[in-house]
Amino acid sequence: MLTLFVFRKYILSKRWVKIVTVYLMTVFILLFLNFLLPRLLPGDVIIAMYSGQEMLITDELYNELIILHGLDKPLIEQFYIYITQLAHGDLGYSYISHASTTGLIMEALPWTLLLVFSSFILSSIAGIILGVESSWRRGGRFDRSLLMFMLLIDGIPSLALGIMFLTVFSLYCGWFPTAGALTPYSDATGISYVIDVLWHLILPLGAITLSQIPGDYLLIRNSMLLTIREPFVLTARAKGIKERRIKYLHTARNAILPFFTRIGIRIVYVITGVLFIETIFAYPGLGLLTYEAISNRDLPLMQGIFTISVLLVLVVNIIVDISYKKIDPRIEYA
Amino acid sequence: MHNRFLRRFKQNRIGMSGLFIFLFLLILAIFAPVIAPYDPWDYSFGYLLPPSIDHLLGTNDIGYDLFSELLWSLRTSIFFGISVGAIASIIGLLIGVSAAISGGLYDIIVMRIADALLAIPTIMVLILIAAYFKPSTIVLIIALSLIIWQTIARGARAQTLSLKSKLHIKAARNMGASTPYIIFKHILPELFPLFAMGFVTKVRIAVFMEAGLSFLGIFDPTSKSLGIMMNYAMRYLYLDVWYNWLFPTVISLSMLIISLALMSYAIEEIFDPRLRRDNIA
Repeated sequence: MLTLFVFRKYILSKRWVKIVTVYLMTVFILLFLNFLLPRLLPGDVIIAMYSGQEMLITDELYNELIILHGLDKPLIEQFYIYITQLAHGDLGYSYISHASTTGLIMEALPWTLLLVFSSFILSSIAGIILGVESSWRRGGRFDRSLLMFMLLIDGIPSLALGIMFLTVFSLYCGWFPTAGALTPYSDATGISYVIDVLWHLILPLGAITLSQIPGDYLLIRNSMLLTIREPFVLTARAKGIKERRIKYLHTARNAILPFFTRIGIRIVYVITGVLFIETIFAYPGLGLLTYEAISNRDLPLMQGIFTISVLLVLVVNIIVDISYKKIDPRIEYA
Repeated sequence: MHNRFLRRFKQNRIGMSGLFIFLFLLILAIFAPVIAPYDPWDYSFGYLLPPSIDHLLGTNDIGYDLFSELLWSLRTSIFFGISVGAIASIIGLLIGVSAAISGGLYDIIVMRIADALLAIPTIMVLILIAAYFKPSTIVLIIALSLIIWQTIARGARAQTLSLKSKLHIKAARNMGASTPYIIFKHILPELFPLFAMGFVTKVRIAVFMEAGLSFLGIFDPTSKSLGIMMNYAMRYLYLDVWYNWLFPTVISLSMLIISLALMSYAIEEIFDPRLRRDNIA
C-alpha cells in the first residue's frame, strides 16, 4: 500500500502507461524468442538442439532429454515451469558445459559490466567535451578536421578496431597482454591486483571506447548546433555572462538532453561492441562466453546470455526513465 | 523536395566522396568473377605463399588465393547489406506510413513494438535464430530486416503525420483524392530522403552484422566472408600474415563502412536544414 502511495504519480501518468507497455513488449519478444519459437519450429527440437554435437542420440537418451527439457508436458505447463525458474534466477542447465547457465553467466558478467560501464562513461565524457568544443568553433579548422576524423573513426567497426589494436599494441609492440583479464596463477592482491586488472583492461577498453566516441560526438555536435540558435543563448550573451559559462552551463546543459534519452539505445551498441572486443581479446566476459556457446552449439547458454543482455538493457532503461524528470524538468508526468 | 535533395547531395563533398568509395567497392563486388584472377574455392596453390605477381596478396593456410577470396567476400558483404537495407527500409516505410494513416489501436501496438525492438540486442537475436534454423544467408537477411525496421518506421510515421495536416494534402483530399492516391502521389515522394537515410544506415548495420556473425563462426566456414577471413587470419598471426591477410580484410571492411557513414552523415545534414553549413547565423 505504501509503495502504491509513493509511486501514485507514476501509476497515474500517461507517460508511464506507455513506458510500461514498452517494457512488457520487450519481455514478450524475449519470451517469444527464448521459449515459443524453438517449440513452434517444424521438426524435432531435441534433434535441432543436439545435431551439431559429437554425440549419438539413442532412443533412450532421446526420451531422457525430452523429460529433462519437460517437452512431454503441455505447452502451458512448460511455460509455467519456465517462468518460475526464471523468477528464481535459474536460466537453465547447459548440457554441454555440464554446469548451471546462471553460474557461468554470473562468473562472466562482472567483467562485461566493467567494460560496458567504464567505456560508456569514458566515451560519453569524451564525446560531450569534443562535441561541445567542435560545435562552438563551427566551420573552423578545428571543427572541420575533428569532424572528418570522427567520421572516419565512426566508419571503422569495433571488430576492425579491436583487431588492429591487438595486432599493433599487443603482438608487435608487446606493450599489453594478448588475452585474458588477469595474469594466470599470480594470486596478486591489493594494489598489484588492481594494476594487473587495469593492464589487461586498457586495450579492450580503449578499442570499445574509441569505437563509441564518434557516435556520441556527432549526437552532441548536432544537438549543440541546434541549441546555439536558441534565443536564451543570445540573452545570456547580452547579459555579459562569461563565454565558458554560456558554453557549458547554458548551451550544453540543454543540448545534452537527447543524449540522455538515447542512453537506452546506446547501451545496446556498447554491448554489441563488447561482444566482439571480448572475443578478440579473449576477455572472460559474456562476449567470450557467447563465442564459446556458438562454437559448442550450446543453446541453453545462448538463451541465458540473451536473457541477461535484455534484462541489462531494461534495467538501464528503467533508471533513465525514472531519473529523466531530474535531467529535464520540463517533462510532464500527469 | 526530391529533386532538391539530389541536387544538395551532389554539392555535398563528404557525401559524394562516400558515394564514390561505395560505387568503387560495388563495382569490384559485381565484377568479382571477372576481376578475380583465380577461383576462390581453388586450393591447388601453395600454402601461405607471400604476395607475388601471381598472387597479389599471397595465399592462405589451405592454399586459397587471398586476393580472389577478398573480392568474393566483398561481394557477400555488399549483397547481404543491400538486401537487408532494401527489405528493412521498405518494411519500415510501410509500417510507419500505415500507422500514421490508420491511427488507433494498430498505431499504438505497432509503435510500442518498434520501441521495444530498440531494447533488444540485434546481434543476440541473430545468434539465436542462427542456432534454431540452419544458419542460411536468406534466413538471416529476413530475420535482420524484421528487427531493424523500427527507426525508419518512426521517422516515416512522424513525417506522414505532419504531412497529413499540410494544406496541399488537405486540398487534394477536398478535391476527392483517394487515400492510396495521396499516399503514392504526395506522401511517398516526400519521404524519399528518409528512405535514402534509412537505407544507408541499414546497409551499414547489415554489413557490420554479416562480418561480425561470420567472425563469430555463425555462417558456413567454407563460404566467402570478410569475417571468416579475419577469424582465420587471427589464428596465423604468429606467422606475420598481418600485412597480406589480416589488414587488407580489415581495411576493406572499414572502407565499406566508412563510405556508408560518410553518405549517412551527408544525408542527415541535408535532411535537417538547421544543420546546414550555409545557414550559419
